[in-house]
This record gives sequence, C-alpha cells and structure tokens, in this order.
Amino acid sequence: MAAYLAHYLVMVGIYTILALSLNLLIGYAGIFSLAHAAIYGIGAYASALVALKLGLGFWGGLVVAGAVGAFASALVAIPSLRVAGDYYIVASFGLQTVILTVFINWTTLTNGHAGLPGIPRPVVFGYVIDNPFKFVGLALALAAFTYAVCHRLTHSAFGRTLRAIRDDEIAALATGKNVVRVKILIVTISSALGALAGSLYAHYITYINPTSFTLEESIFIASLVILGGTERLAGPVVGAFILLAVPEALKFLAIPDAVAAPMRQIIYGALLILFMFVRPEGILGRLRTRPRA
Amino acid sequence: MSAASAPPVLSLRGVSKAFGGIQAVQSCSFDVAPGVITGLIGPNGAGKTTVFNLITGFLRADSGSIRYKGEEIAGLLPHQVEAKGVVRTFQHLRLWGKMSVLDNVLVSCRTPLGENVLTLFLRPRRVRAEEAAARERAFQVLEFFGLAGRAQDLAEDLAYPEQKLLSMARMLATEADVLLLDEPTSGLDTESLARIVPMVRKLVQGGKTVLLIEHNMELIAQLSDEVVFLHQGSVIARGQAAEITRDPALTGIYFGV
Amino acid sequence: MDLLLQLLATGLVVGSLYALCALGWGLIYGTTLHFHVAHGAVFSLAAYFAYVGQKLLHLPLALAVIGAIAAAAAAGLLIDLLLYQQLERRGALRTSLFIASLGLLILIENVLAIVFTPDPMRLDIGALDTSLVIGPVFLTYLHVLTVALAAAGYVALMWFLKRSRWGQAIRAVSSSPEMARTVGIDLKRVHLLTYAIGSALAAPAGILVAMDVGAEPFRGTRFVLLASVAVIMGGIGSIPGAMLGGLFLGLLENVGIWQLPSEWQSAISFGVFLLFIVLRPRGFFGRRVQSAEL
Repeated sequence: MAAYLAHYLVMVGIYTILALSLNLLIGYAGIFSLAHAAIYGIGAYASALVALKLGLGFWGGLVVAGAVGAFASALVAIPSLRVAGDYYIVASFGLQTVILTVFINWTTLTNGHAGLPGIPRPVVFGYVIDNPFKFVGLALALAAFTYAVCHRLTHSAFGRTLRAIRDDEIAALATGKNVVRVKILIVTISSALGALAGSLYAHYITYINPTSFTLEESIFIASLVILGGTERLAGPVVGAFILLAVPEALKFLAIPDAVAAPMRQIIYGALLILFMFVRPEGILGRLRTRPRA
Repeated sequence: MSAASAPPVLSLRGVSKAFGGIQAVQSCSFDVAPGVITGLIGPNGAGKTTVFNLITGFLRADSGSIRYKGEEIAGLLPHQVEAKGVVRTFQHLRLWGKMSVLDNVLVSCRTPLGENVLTLFLRPRRVRAEEAAARERAFQVLEFFGLAGRAQDLAEDLAYPEQKLLSMARMLATEADVLLLDEPTSGLDTESLARIVPMVRKLVQGGKTVLLIEHNMELIAQLSDEVVFLHQGSVIARGQAAEITRDPALTGIYFGV
Repeated sequence: MDLLLQLLATGLVVGSLYALCALGWGLIYGTTLHFHVAHGAVFSLAAYFAYVGQKLLHLPLALAVIGAIAAAAAAGLLIDLLLYQQLERRGALRTSLFIASLGLLILIENVLAIVFTPDPMRLDIGALDTSLVIGPVFLTYLHVLTVALAAAGYVALMWFLKRSRWGQAIRAVSSSPEMARTVGIDLKRVHLLTYAIGSALAAPAGILVAMDVGAEPFRGTRFVLLASVAVIMGGIGSIPGAMLGGLFLGLLENVGIWQLPSEWQSAISFGVFLLFIVLRPRGFFGRRVQSAEL
C-alpha cells in the first residue's frame, strides 16, 4: 500500500512538471499546444539514449533532454507563431505526429515499438535512487524546481508581458513588445521543462516505448491544466493530483479493463465540457487582483 | 521655439495603401510639427485610422515614405516603431481587461531587465530595483490622469471615461515622444469631455507631440492647434484649426453636403 | 512507373476523402471561426449510423447511407445548438469552445469504442467491392465512387454558395459577421445551416471509409486534424482551396512514399505543411494573412 502511494506521488510529481510547463503556454501565453506529450517523449528518449549509448548519468541526461526538447519546439514555433493562434494548434498536432512517427520508425535509434529497456537509475551524490520511496524525493524536488522557475517567470515583467500578449496581442505590439520573440521564448522554456519530466520518467520506469507519448497523452496533460485552473500557478498541481486519481478510482469500482481505458477518457471528455460551462477558469479559479498595497 | 520653424517630427510623403480593390490612402503627404497637437480629421472612411496603422507599422504602405525625426520608419514592425518613439491608442481601447490598472501601465514602462529571461534569473537585485523604479513611474503616470486610487482594480471594471484615460496613461508611460490618439473623445458625454479635453492638452507638456484623430468638428478647435483634413485617402487641406473648421467647402465635405 | 500510377490513383481516392472533410470543416471554420474538432466525431458517427442502419435495422445500403448522412447533419447541427451557442451565450472565449469541442470529440469516440469495440466494423457493399483495373492501376468501384462523390460534393457546394439565397447569406457571414447582421441576416440560423451542411459533407467520407476498411472509433480525430491542415494549405475562407488542399494532401501522402519508406508518410505531409506555413501562410487561395489582424 505504501509503495503504491509512493508510486502515485512520483507520477504526480512528473505530471506536475508537465502540467506546469504546459500551463506557461496555455494559461499564460494563450497558446494551445497539442504536442506536449511529444516533448515529454523527446526528453525521455534523449535522456535514455545518452544513458544507454554514451553512459551519461541521469543529470547529464536531464540537461540533454532539456536542450533537445527546447530545440525541437523552436522548430515549430518559429513558422507558426508568425501567423495566428489556430495555426499553432494544427502545427502542434503536426509536430506531435511527426515526433511520434520518429519514435516508432527510427528503429536503429529508438528500437521502435520494442522500446528501450534497462535505463539506469539516477545516482545522487553516490546514492542510488532505486525504489519508489527514494524516487518521491527526487520527483518532488524536480517538481518544486519547476514550480520555482515558473513562479519567477510569471511574477515578473516577463510574466506581465506574457499576460498582456494573451489578453490582447495587438495592444502589446503597440506598446513595444516583440510578441513573436516572447512567444518563441516561452515555447522554448516550456518545452525544456516538459522534456525534463520525460527524463525523470525514463529513469524511473527504466523502460520507455512510443505508446506513452501519443496525442491522447497530450490531450490528457492539457486536461490537467484546464481542469486544475490556468490562472493560478498551483492549478496544474491540483489538476495532477485529482486527475491521476481517476484511474485508481475506476480500479476501485472493478470496471473491466477493456472498458476502463475508454471510460477514463469519457470522464475526462465530460469533465472538460462540464467545466467550460460551469467553471472555465478551472478548480482553483480566477486570480483576483485586489491585494491592498 | 515656434512650431512653424522647427523641422517636422513626423513626415509622410506620397503614402498609398489599397486593400481588396479599395484605395484607402492615396498619395498622402503631410507633416506633424513638434510640441503641438495636430488633428487628423475628415469624414468617415477618409482613411484616418489607416494612416495611423501605416505610421505605427500595423500595415505596410504600398508606396511612399514615412519619416520620424528624419529617419525612415515605413516598413518597421509595430514594436520597432514604438521603440523609436511613436506610440498610439486604439479607438476600441484594447485595454488588458483582466489585468489591474497598475499592471496595464506597468507593461508600458521600461523594464528590459525584468523581461529578459537571463537577467531575470541571474540578476535578481537589479531586476528588483528596476521593478521598483517602474512602479514609481507607473504611479506618477496614474496620478497625472487621476487614476492612482484605482490602481488595484481590474481595467475592465473601470467606467468608460476612466478606461479612456487609462489607455492614454498606458501610452504616456512608454515615454514615447510622439503620441497618436485615435478618437480620444468618442463615446463620451459632456461631463467626461470636460475632464478629457484638458488632459489631452496637458499631454504636450514636456515637449511631446500629439497627432489625434477627431470626428467632432466642434471639438477640433478646442483640441488641436493645427489640422490636416483627409478625404478619400488624400490630404485636401492643412492649416490652423480655426481656419479649417470655418471653411464652408470643407465642412460641406465633412457633412456630406 | 506502374507503382507511381497506382500511388497517384490511391492518392486521388484518399485525397477525395480528405477533400470532403476539408470542405465541411473549412465551411464551418470560415463562417463561424469555431475550431470544430468535434467534426471528427461527426465523421465517425456517420460511419456507425450507416453500420447500424444496415446491420441492425437491416435497411438496404442506399437507405442506410442516406439516413446516416441525415443523422450526421442533425448531429452537427445539434452540436452547434446545444454546445457552442450555449457557451457563447454565457460569454465563453474561443479557447473554451475549442476545449469543449475537444472534450466532446473524446467523449463520443470513446462511447463508440465501448459500444462497438475498437475493432473495425465493415459494411456490406456488394457490387461496389468489385475490382476495376485500368492499365497497371487496381481500384474498386467504391474508390471510383469516392472520387465522384467528392467532385459532386464540391460542385453542389459551390453552386449552393453562389446561387441560393442561403448560400449567399453564408458567404456574407463568412466575410463579415457585423455587416451581415446589419443587413438583417440571422447569424444563429446561418451557423446552424453551416453546421448541417458541413457535417453532411463529412458524413459520406466517414461512410466511404467504413465501406472500404471498416468504421473505427478513433479515426475521426486523424481526419479532422488533417482536414484543418488541408484548409490551411488551401487558404482559410476558400472552398476551392479546401478542395485542392484535401486532394493535394492525399496525393502528397501517397506519392511521398514512392521514394521514401511508407512509415514516414505522415511526417512527409506535416513537413510540407510546415513549409507552407513558412513560405505561404495564406495557403493556395487564402487572403493575405497579416501578423496583426486589426
């Protein structure tokens, strides 16, 4: 039971990083991306490959993952941000599809559907992190790091500029903001962080294959963000805690496996619709700017 | 320094722009003198907002030159034009409704360190100092417009006249030299006009230049020193406000008689 | 060379399917500006309606198909009436509509997966399955029908938009909702009509695929996203563009694998799409896209 809880917390940690980084795009910059699972996957594969083929440890893998994730995202951001938001939805779908295709088909590098087993565990100052309990600390530490980075970014002039761009891009342009450059920056940062989550995942489960990084996964991560609340930094964290409990709750109700997976999706879909009617700002709700100075 | 003798701060020559078969602006040429308020007037559809869009880089001119302090700015992107020193308001305001009044002005203040991701993380002390200075400047600007008491309210919660003032505050905070106001008096009742008109006049304190689009012929004389009359995309008259507004041929065109 | 001809033929068939979806999606997007991903659900629903009609209600194929198209058109209309219009009434942002649309797509597809299982459900198409051999190219009558239907759909839509009063109303709303409102056009009704027509165009595509390889619950997602790619490549707001975009995408996917391994099919299509966005964001026939639309 305790091991199970530890596993749940590790996954919450990983998904918190994914959701926080995606919220930089969806909540703060107003850019809806369907490619976050692909970025997650890029981080996982990059980190796994440098560990397996170059013998680089977890920390090296983390850095490589971040760099590769950032680079991949910039490729799509640059063309699509010059036009309009809806183009980005389609372009991100394109990116997601292309990257997944690479995972599946570049078999010499990724082993395709067979996946990459035997990814080494992280070593922190000589201490090997080899069971879920030890992993909880690492996962939560990285999640806290991500939270701190996002906090600094959003509670600053940069964050203000992001929100201005989200609320009215044209006014932001008129006020001297280089909107395209800011968007490219935030896409890059968001992807670097998302890729970190992938690295963590790879060294935790020690086996990765393409099925973890599909369009459905992208939509799931987006749901965490939307349902938790895009306006508050803690929203995605709440979203992760709650939505990751859904599959467990379903197991409790003894729903047959074949039906469980679509059932989960139906619940997510229904929740998304419900929330758009009842509480579009998510569980945590709106940020009321009324602090008395 | 007399406005007539100083070189123009903004200069358009032969600017043209067509969209979808309609010639919105046709060989438009005029100068804007520094330190005074110039009114851009004309009937609906004369191309006034298009001229603003062309000057500020939201549209690219098909031909012609736009010079700011002698430097060619046609073809620059809007944020580049702003960096040179030309800023505008919008007829539909375009405030950031979900942000506070203070934040709306803070966005316009100069905060390059806080907006640069590297310095944001690596130079926290300097970023903090810059932010404090920006807040002080923002409050000064809000005071100028009488909005300091509403600093923490959401922009969308302000009454319309105050929103108009906020859009001007946002513009003033950028420290740009040339301020383009798109219909600053539209939608206002007489009482609000009494507040706004002197505000617009105050803007030219400290050497700023104002070019404004104004619909109301009666207000033109109150609001501006010089006037440029636009009709069907071209300049058909230029001169002192009082003369232009008394010219029967021009008022005829304006009222479509 | 033979292979290339076969690929061109297959590309034309697949392109026709994409074109039908793109025509419908493009019409809806151009008129309402809704990013209607639930269009993929309508595509899938049409296929299953036809299946239910033939296999469970034992209707003759033609009747099942017509019934399915009508039902799908109704479904599309209801989605606008009960989801988008209701959200808009509550002041929802465009992003909220997109999210709700995505939620509906996921919901419907997974309900279909539970009810019908993820296995492909094939319709009995009798004579349509007969092969047709033209030189080195193998096709079935179904494939020929697909191309014919896409062409017919295009012609019918163009005629409708140019000649009928409702078609002109749709065009007016598409080019400027404010102007359309001022001349007395009822935007809500125009939207409903647009959804009905757009869905009626996607429905045959879903049904044809069900006839060929069987209906599957999750295929709609892929088709609607490809439809949006086709519309962007063709140019937003252009019906001929959507048609051309769909055909082009189908041909690209298939001819692309002439020299390159087939697994890279989608990567090729998206690579070209991204190139389009960089070099010609307005697509084949779209209006010039300003980076700041005022």
